[in-house]
Amino acid sequence: MIQRALLGIWMAAVIVGAFLIAPVAKNLGELSRIVYFHVPVAWVAVLAFLWAMVQGILLLRSNRMVNDIAAEAAARIGLSFCILATLTGMVFAKATWGAYWNWDPRETSVFVLLLIYLAYFALRTAIEDPERRARLAAAYAILAGFAVPFLVFIIPRVYFSLHPTPIISKTGKLEMDHTMLIVFLSSLAGFTGIYVWLQNLSVRAGILARRAEEESE
Amino acid sequence: MKPIYIVLIVNLVVWAGVFALLLSLDSRIKKLEKH
Repeated sequence: MIQRALLGIWMAAVIVGAFLIAPVAKNLGELSRIVYFHVPVAWVAVLAFLWAMVQGILLLRSNRMVNDIAAEAAARIGLSFCILATLTGMVFAKATWGAYWNWDPRETSVFVLLLIYLAYFALRTAIEDPERRARLAAAYAILAGFAVPFLVFIIPRVYFSLHPTPIISKTGKLEMDHTMLIVFLSSLAGFTGIYVWLQNLSVRAGILARRAEEESE
Repeated sequence: MKPIYIVLIVNLVVWAGVFALLLSLDSRIKKLEKH
């Protein structure tokens, strides 16, 4: 309970810091404040997709259904946060580039990522046998997990993109004002905490749902 | 009132709503787990 109360206060402080304490970035003005929400949301999506991959590996090794529940929960949270990252990115694109969608390499790679994880859920609904579904979904989550770093970190950097340069430059140097960086890292930590909480709730709810299904059979 | 204060208040209200929702889900799941 203390951890949850701390998370509540932490995120409220991040919101106040993002709007009142952090300075605006050059050239972007007030719009630059979206970085404190857009990047952490995208970060949670990546984290969740990679966690789904880890759970897939664990399931194929041990065949425990709790890993299937955790993988499904992680993929669902990842997809939801990926949609949120796309929407916040579209708001930024409209304000800076004049259109919500430009088929920029970053937007195209996120679009492919969304399709990959929508297909994961299509696969799950297509198979009735729970054990077969769990094993096939785990194999798919592992393959999809390998695609995540390429689509999020590599492809958008290979091609010319209108997307603002990453916070860590190609030379490995941090390119951000000190106050902005503190608020940004605090936001990353806060969103990670929200993800851990959501994952925990989803797994517990999933276990209860499976138990109810088994009892009704 | 400056627009940034309005955006700040909206964000805080949204977070308060999300936080309350997560807390209520947590307590409901806890109750079901006890049964």
